[in-house]
Amino acid sequence: MIDDETLDRQLREAAPYIDDDGFTARVMAKLPAARRERRWLRAAILIGLTVLGSGIAYLLSGGGRFVVAGVIQLSSFPIWLLLVFAFGCGLVVGAFAVIFAIRKTPEARDLVRFRL
Amino acid sequence: MELTDADLIARVLADDDQHAFGELVRRHQSSVRGLLRQLTRTDISLADDLAQETFIRAYKNIRSFRGEARFSTWLYRIAYNRFREDARKRKELVGVDEELLQAEHDPQTVDPGLRHDLMHALNLLPLHERTAVVLCCQNGLSHDEAARVLDIPLGTVKTNVLRGREKLKRTLAAWAPN
Repeated sequence: MIDDETLDRQLREAAPYIDDDGFTARVMAKLPAARRERRWLRAAILIGLTVLGSGIAYLLSGGGRFVVAGVIQLSSFPIWLLLVFAFGCGLVVGAFAVIFAIRKTPEARDLVRFRL
Repeated sequence: MELTDADLIARVLADDDQHAFGELVRRHQSSVRGLLRQLTRTDISLADDLAQETFIRAYKNIRSFRGEARFSTWLYRIAYNRFREDARKRKELVGVDEELLQAEHDPQTVDPGLRHDLMHALNLLPLHERTAVVLCCQNGLSHDEAARVLDIPLGTVKTNVLRGREKLKRTLAAWAPN
């Protein structure tokens, strides 16, 4: 009798590669239409809500006067404090960018999971 | 550089990219169609119909693929479920195997022209053993992956592979010329 390894090898060799022969094209022809319209709808809702929120904030703040007041206040701060503030903002934005990049990249996500 | 399955799936998920899904179909069509041809006992037309439905179902449900298993394992699971649904409808799941098992115990009933034909010997196995052997020995799935595809306990997969292998060896030995 043949051993397991030989039997497995013969089984693999006995199953030839099946040529596509139009199979993929037939599958593609039967796929439901891509859901692009939903992405457009989502983008439109997000932009609409952002514009609406910004408009309300502008009106409630008396025409954006608080921004001018904030800038005047900032100009009176010492320069080293502004630099520290800018550096801190950069760190926070950078950290968020790295987290989102890891979440969007399967290889990096697996690597992080493996290391942990 | 060739994109990995994970890259292609990410494109399908992010942009509904049907070209990326087409590439996945091209890559896996042979193994899925091969598995279904074994399950349907080389009924090529039925196997290809089921394979087509397998890929369409995979596309519709790709958001439920979590990447915990290989994409091919996930496809095999869909293909096997689709085959079982169809077999239930056709009432072929029970009955035919027993009849063919009788043939296995009496090698003289087998067409002499088909001696040494491994694929024919494989077709003589009962469905549960044939499926386990095709997945593990032919397609290289681990016992654990096969258990997930078939949704049965790991021990049952191991037993089915062991029994299937032994029967194949016996059948091939019985067919060997003296």
